[in-house]
Amino acid sequence: MGHDNQKIEEFFYKNNEQVNNPIIKSFLSDSKNLYLVQKAILYPTEINKKLVDESFQSHYKNIRKVKYVSNLIYFFSLDFDKKRTRLQNRFLLILDRGISEEGGTTAKELIEDESNEKELNNIVGVGLLDNIEDEQLLKSLQKLTVKQLQILEMIYVKDLTTKEIAQKLRTTPQNISNLHRKALNKLNHTLVKKGE
Amino acid sequence: MANLENQFNEETLTIIENFTPKIKQCLHSTDYQEREDLEQEIKLKIIEKLATVKFQNAPSFWDFFS
Repeated sequence: MGHDNQKIEEFFYKNNEQVNNPIIKSFLSDSKNLYLVQKAILYPTEINKKLVDESFQSHYKNIRKVKYVSNLIYFFSLDFDKKRTRLQNRFLLILDRGISEEGGTTAKELIEDESNEKELNNIVGVGLLDNIEDEQLLKSLQKLTVKQLQILEMIYVKDLTTKEIAQKLRTTPQNISNLHRKALNKLNHTLVKKGE
Repeated sequence: MANLENQFNEETLTIIENFTPKIKQCLHSTDYQEREDLEQEIKLKIIEKLATVKFQNAPSFWDFFS
């Protein structure tokens, strides 16, 4: 038995380089194959050698298959996407076309849903008084003059600048600013009073 | 004959099963709407190729040790 082991070791030692070849290594890592090889080394008959060969060839073929399939999956998925993109770009819908040359945003992304906005305005209303939830604030606002309310609405709801408001009401920006400050003061006053 | 066919089917099935993670990973190369299609196409291709491609004859084991 010791003699046998020596013989096997000697064989592997002599062929160290080949044994480290990845395909031989993976073949020998299966104990069944290793056993066959050892048997063939000890009793190098035709049958033993043939058994090893058969096992090795199926192992080799399997590895080839795995490698092949692995590459197939990778390249096929790349090709698939390329083909799809090419087809899609060839028959592009107008709305799917990019706005600029580089693409990025498409035309359909810029379509506005107007009904949505309208509905929201129908429910809430557009005026300043329609948008107040606080009851005290609403009451204080109702005490302001019409002009003051108008200005507050233009500033806080419509987001206009003092200059634009002045043009609309045909007065000076200073006057608007003044009226605005007075309105806020009055609001503050009534609110503080109520708070007490 | 039927036996051989069965063996081939089983082999193909194991290969596809073993490669499922790899396939899933490669699906990311396309848009998510297309992924299901791609997965099916890949599996189809694997079956087709395993059935048709002749894998080269392996060298003899003892050739390495001559």
